[in-house]
Amino acid sequence: MTKVRIFVTYKPSVFDPQGDTITKTIHTLGYDEVKDVQVGKFFDVTIDANGDQVAATVKEIAEKLLVNFNMETYTYQVLEDQQ
Amino acid sequence: MKIAVIVFPGSNCDIDLYEALSSVCGADVDYVSHKQDNLTGYDAVMLPGGFSYGDYLRAGAIARFAPVMGAVVKMANKGKPVFGTCNGFQILTEAGLLPGGLKRNNSQKFVCKTVPLEVVNNQTLFTSQYQEHERIALPIAHADGSYYADEETLDDLEAHHQVVFRYAEENPNGSLRNIAGITNRQGNVLGMMPHPERAVEAILGNTDGLRLFKSLLENGHAKVEE
Repeated sequence: MTKVRIFVTYKPSVFDPQGDTITKTIHTLGYDEVKDVQVGKFFDVTIDANGDQVAATVKEIAEKLLVNFNMETYTYQVLEDQQ
Repeated sequence: MKIAVIVFPGSNCDIDLYEALSSVCGADVDYVSHKQDNLTGYDAVMLPGGFSYGDYLRAGAIARFAPVMGAVVKMANKGKPVFGTCNGFQILTEAGLLPGGLKRNNSQKFVCKTVPLEVVNNQTLFTSQYQEHERIALPIAHADGSYYADEETLDDLEAHHQVVFRYAEENPNGSLRNIAGITNRQGNVLGMMPHPERAVEAILGNTDGLRLFKSLLENGHAKVEE
C-alpha cells in the first residue's frame, strides 16, 4: 500500500489570480520580501500497489482526470510506502 | 430536427434552454439524462449551464465522464450541431471537443450581469442570422469563465475564424483576447460563456439571444433535409 500526495498548480506561464491577490495582501501586511505566491491543490491518494505500478497509476489518473494540461501541471511525492 | 438538452446532476439552465427552443422557437426538444449512452434519432445536442457535479475538481471535469458524453462526442464527430453555454462550454473544453479551458475569473468573483458582445463570425450555423461585427448584449453568470489557451492555440483559433463572440467593452473575467465563445475547426461545435437562452423574449428585457437558436434551427433543418 502506498500513499502519495499529488500537487496540481497552474503552469508558470498561466496567470494565477488567487496567488496574485494573496501576494498583494501579504505586501499590505508588510512582508515586502515575499515576491510570489502560487496557489495549487493537492490530493492524498492511497494506492494498493508499490513501486513502478504506483508511478503508472499516478500518471494515468493525473492525465485522465486530476490535471487539465491546457493550463495545469503536477508533481507528486510518496508519503508512505508499506510493502 | 430533433434536439436533445442534456441534464446532468447540478444542471440549472436546462429548463431555460428547453423553453427557449420549445416554447419560443417551436422546436422538437427532449430532456435527455446524463445516464443515457445513446443519442440516436437526435440531430443536435445542447449542454446547459449550471454546476454539474458541484463543479468538483474543475468545472466540467467530472461531467466529461458521464455516460452520455460518448454519444455527444460521436455526434460532434459526425458534424452534427453541438452547443454548450456556460457550464456546457466548460464541459466541451474538458471533453476535448473545443481547445483551451476556462479558469476562475480574474476578479475571483461570480459575475452576473448583461455584457456587450461582438459577433466576430456570423458564418457559422449558430450565428448566420446576426450581422458580422454586430454588437449584441447577453447575460453572463459565472465564476469560472476566464478563457485560457496558449498563444499558439489562440493564433490558430483566430486564423481559422473560430472566435465567434468577443466581450466588446469591458472584459468581465480576464478571458484571453476577450474571447466569449468559440467553435471547433469544423464549426459544428460552439461553446460560449454568455447565456443566449436567457435573452429570447421581450418580457425578459432582451431578445439578442433568439437569433442564435433561430440560426441553428434554420441551418439544422436545411441539413436534415439534405
